[in-house]
Amino acid sequence: MPKSMYIDPAATLAAGKISFEDIPVNTYGKSVKDELNQNNYTKGDLVRIYRDIAILREFESMLSMIKTQGVYNGIETTYPGPAHLSLGQEAAAVGEAYLLTSDDFIFGSHRSHSEILAKSLSAIEKLGDDELMAIMEGFLGGRTLRAVEKVSKPDSVAELAVEFIIYGALTEIFARENGFHMGLGGSMHAFFLPFGVYPNNAIVGGSACIAAGAALYKKCNKKKGIVVCNLGDGSLGCGPVWEALNFSAMGQFKTLWEDGKNGGMPIIFNFFNNGYGMGGQTRGETMAYDMLARVGAGISPTQMHSERVNGFNPLAVIEAYKRKKELVKKGGGPVLLDVLTYRFSGHSTSDQNAYRSRDEIDAWRGLDPIITYRKSLVDADVASDSVFEDILADTSERMTRICEWACDVKISPYADFKNNSSVVERMMFSNERKEKLDDRPPEVLTDKDDCAAYVKIKGKIRAVESDGKPTPKLRLFNLRDAISETIIDKYYEDPTLISYGEDVRDWGGAFAVYRDMSGSIPYSRLFNTPISESAIVGSAVGYGLCGGRAVIELMYADFIGRAGDEIFNQLSKWQAMSAGILKMPVILRVSVGSKYGAQHSQDWVALCAHIPGLKVCFPATPWEAKGLMKSALNGTDPVVFFESQRIYDVGEQFRKGGVPAEDYEITIGDTNTVRKGGDITFLTIGSTLYRAVEAANLLEEKHNVSVEVINLHSLVPLNYTDIIESVKKTGRVLLTSDACARGSFLNDVARNITELCFDYLDAPPVVVGAQNWITPPFEFDEYFFPQASWIIDAVNEKIMPLKGHAPTTNHTLTEQLRKAKLGV
Amino acid sequence: MAAGVLMPKAGITVEECMITKWEKAVGDKVNAGDLLFTYETDKASFECESTAEGELLEIFYFEGDEVPVLVNVCAVGKKGDDVSSLRPGAAVRPTPDKATVTVETTFTDSRSERAEPADGNLKISPRAQNLSEKIGVEASLASPTGPGGRIVERDILALADSGGLGGLEAADEEPPKSKVPDSEYEDAALSKIRRVIAGAMAGSLASIPQLTHHHSFDATNILDFRKRIKTSAERFGLPNITLNDIILYAVSRTLLKFPDFNAHIVDGDIVRRFKHAHIGVAMDTPRGLMVPTIFNADKKTLDEISAESKSLASRAQSGSISPDALHGATFTVTNLGSLGVEMFTPVINAPQTAILGVCGLITRFKSDGGELKPYQAMGLSVTYDHRIIDGAPEARFASELISYLENFTAMLIK
Repeated sequence: MPKSMYIDPAATLAAGKISFEDIPVNTYGKSVKDELNQNNYTKGDLVRIYRDIAILREFESMLSMIKTQGVYNGIETTYPGPAHLSLGQEAAAVGEAYLLTSDDFIFGSHRSHSEILAKSLSAIEKLGDDELMAIMEGFLGGRTLRAVEKVSKPDSVAELAVEFIIYGALTEIFARENGFHMGLGGSMHAFFLPFGVYPNNAIVGGSACIAAGAALYKKCNKKKGIVVCNLGDGSLGCGPVWEALNFSAMGQFKTLWEDGKNGGMPIIFNFFNNGYGMGGQTRGETMAYDMLARVGAGISPTQMHSERVNGFNPLAVIEAYKRKKELVKKGGGPVLLDVLTYRFSGHSTSDQNAYRSRDEIDAWRGLDPIITYRKSLVDADVASDSVFEDILADTSERMTRICEWACDVKISPYADFKNNSSVVERMMFSNERKEKLDDRPPEVLTDKDDCAAYVKIKGKIRAVESDGKPTPKLRLFNLRDAISETIIDKYYEDPTLISYGEDVRDWGGAFAVYRDMSGSIPYSRLFNTPISESAIVGSAVGYGLCGGRAVIELMYADFIGRAGDEIFNQLSKWQAMSAGILKMPVILRVSVGSKYGAQHSQDWVALCAHIPGLKVCFPATPWEAKGLMKSALNGTDPVVFFESQRIYDVGEQFRKGGVPAEDYEITIGDTNTVRKGGDITFLTIGSTLYRAVEAANLLEEKHNVSVEVINLHSLVPLNYTDIIESVKKTGRVLLTSDACARGSFLNDVARNITELCFDYLDAPPVVVGAQNWITPPFEFDEYFFPQASWIIDAVNEKIMPLKGHAPTTNHTLTEQLRKAKLGV
Repeated sequence: MAAGVLMPKAGITVEECMITKWEKAVGDKVNAGDLLFTYETDKASFECESTAEGELLEIFYFEGDEVPVLVNVCAVGKKGDDVSSLRPGAAVRPTPDKATVTVETTFTDSRSERAEPADGNLKISPRAQNLSEKIGVEASLASPTGPGGRIVERDILALADSGGLGGLEAADEEPPKSKVPDSEYEDAALSKIRRVIAGAMAGSLASIPQLTHHHSFDATNILDFRKRIKTSAERFGLPNITLNDIILYAVSRTLLKFPDFNAHIVDGDIVRRFKHAHIGVAMDTPRGLMVPTIFNADKKTLDEISAESKSLASRAQSGSISPDALHGATFTVTNLGSLGVEMFTPVINAPQTAILGVCGLITRFKSDGGELKPYQAMGLSVTYDHRIIDGAPEARFASELISYLENFTAMLIK
């Protein structure tokens, strides 16, 4: 909502019509001879294209044989994992990769073996011997190369690299330590960064937002190359793919972004259209588009330069890429390509092909590029038949050798899970400390001292009392300021830092964390997104894994569901799935609401804490917020950073002197003991801290019970040292947060305390959570969220009956059972 | 007039209990202290003894019924008595405030307050269990104040504060042998029971302002009585009545007139006066001091007391005594007379408020018309908790007891 763009009612309401350009369909009409005559290829190039197709075909055939018959060319082996084969789609993959360099990134789907190999073979062709050797030596400390060298006797470095890449891909699929990422990714997730092969995704459409984020990284950091996002035709049924298309085509790239950064996103959305989404026929059955290329016309005025291309002809695909890549480099992106192809094998090896006829498969097989492209080359006198026979024989021989090495556990061992329990454990977090991810000066519009937000925050009083008087609210340095200040500092330190989300720029964020920053931070580093939570989070994943730092915002925790896959499968898992090759310096700020009813008021921290691979924080004091945000911003791990809307305005009440002006970090995983006591320990998460402190005051005044209050500002990781010490001392513990009690993270903490402190307990740990209901209107808040009175009643009922206490709420065991039985 | 029997309040937090089994039927004769029915809370099972005497006239709640605490469960009285006013709901019963309820609750048997569910496992928090072992108090003697009748840390601390000697369980472990056999001395760890005694004694003396009065009485009457019983015992099939039995009997008849002597101090600020005399009898056993209880001694005849005393003694000696018998005394009698002790200062067995020490016989003289006549005198040493009992009331208690003992045969007629 920039004021600079005026929505003119007259123009808006004027009559007219929307016109579309024609969308080209299979317009490539050249023959091999034409291409030779135009000097687009040498004969060698054309033969090499065939060789690449043959390698891809043999690779997939090998896996098909192993999966279905347990034997390939006499090598008996089994492989229990997935094999989504792209038999039939090889020419399209080779055509796409032909002009791409290592600076161009491809992302893909579960059916990506051909794409990975084609892109690598193309990169190998373009790189010099020294570069290739450096890449292979540098990869996993040279381990994969050492294994290949033991058995491979190549004629050249390029040939060695070809065997290296096939071996690396196959051992990754076979879950071996020499694989691209030590076997932790497997068939559907393999990638090899040095050749520009970026992560492939087992979630249909999962790569779309991530690839958009990679393009954002290239755009914001002026990196060479373009991004190609490979998707299937079925993925257009997934909302996040649409979000990615729209996000990549946002108007602001051209209308608002500053000079040097403006222009379209450098990305091609490449749909390998094999006609089926698993078994569902996309044209005519499960999708509405009829012809996939049509979709581009609905996204942007450029129609995404959409085009349908015959993917059975590698030269047609190359010709399209030649044009589209040039267009994208000039700022014309994003582009949509509908590359027609066909999958001869099933969706997976368990597919019985019940949804298509033998005739259909045979008809397409008749056009198999491995036959037709070869014939076209023979007909054009590019090479004789025997050359192609030799290629097939060589490829089969090579694949057999490599398969043998990959199956041999002496050459290709499995990770030693039996003797090394930390194989995956040490991959879960990168735990690095990097204050900035690039050394160039950060791009800003003003000095930090002239940043309006910064000036305002610096003028605030950082403690709740000054000169013995309470600090006035508007002058008080509050939790919101603590977050803003730390982000501003990082803007002026790390040039890769970008922040975005819904309404973060002009509005300053729904809760004003970014207020007054737009005058100092350029558009490319602080921008509004569409209401597309999948695209917000997914693109940050892509931005982060490419090497940038992103802070993104979800306006309400309740919207986590809208970014479910992006948070729970992508943000969380890529560091470990990549065996630590990828880093994920992304902070997902999530605001926990109140007042706005059932779909805007729920505390969802437990969901994030449940998923392995995410660090989860929920600061409840300004001191915690600044220290944790600093820590998150200096780290390289994904952090879900919860903030409660109830306490953005609180000052620091627990630390003498308030929040330090200088930098400090709080280790994510520490706990914050805000009050010392001897009789009972309260553990709190989020804004419930303040109600627990109120309860502690009442218990102390009325019942002479001394309460120790520890705030869990970090959920994952969590260091139990202080908790155990406290519970051993007091013998009693009550845990409380605003999350619905069933499945609350606190139940996990309570269980751990029970196990860790059992002999010291005077009563079972008691969890006081919100009701297991929808959040009723704000007027009934006190009946839904834990209150001080609930806490005291629970202490009285379940921990230590309090003399003379008259409970006002029902915390009896009978009530607990009744509610559980009813599921409420 | 018929009397109602209330559903006891089995714990501070208990609001209602379920009757599990009636042990008496309408028309049965019922003595106070007879088991009427068993009942349970969500956590534990208890027994309810009758607080009234007569015939069971009407049962208001039946097996499986949930009964609010402190509501009449049945009526006991003479056949023909009107029970309509006793029926629950007949008249609105004023709800006593919580503090009063705690004090007024009828503790027909203090075991009903113990945290022992039907399966016999003590309901106690791990922390409280550890603490009780560490400081050497017997956890089962604690009065539970935790949720659902659980013994929690503060109950053990309260027990320790009040001395912790409610009774002692038979020790089941051998004290470990000295680890330095050749040294000049031998270290022996205290046995479990010694640790319990040590904790209880130290706790009592440290926390109770207690002092002892020494009295003496003319034992001629009880000595004669005993002699006569002894000679005719065989002929009439009477048990061998000891001097201690006679004293226990006299104490049981005297105590109820002095309710502060038949009481516990609870939480330091509540005196719980019992309606029956449950007399702890201190006994020297091979394992150390044990104090089994004769429950409802005030309702028992001399020969019943004598028989029970002997039975308890033999079980205490052999170590087969049930832990139940070691709990719940409201007053203690300790006898060192047979060992020739002339006077001593017995230590109060907390949370009780007093203890009687019985001393040996000595020959004294008294003036009878100017003539000195010898007689057998027996010493009594009464230690009392000065928080509850002052010197003069003790003197009155002793005087009443002495009067009973000096006129024992006459008093038996009552």
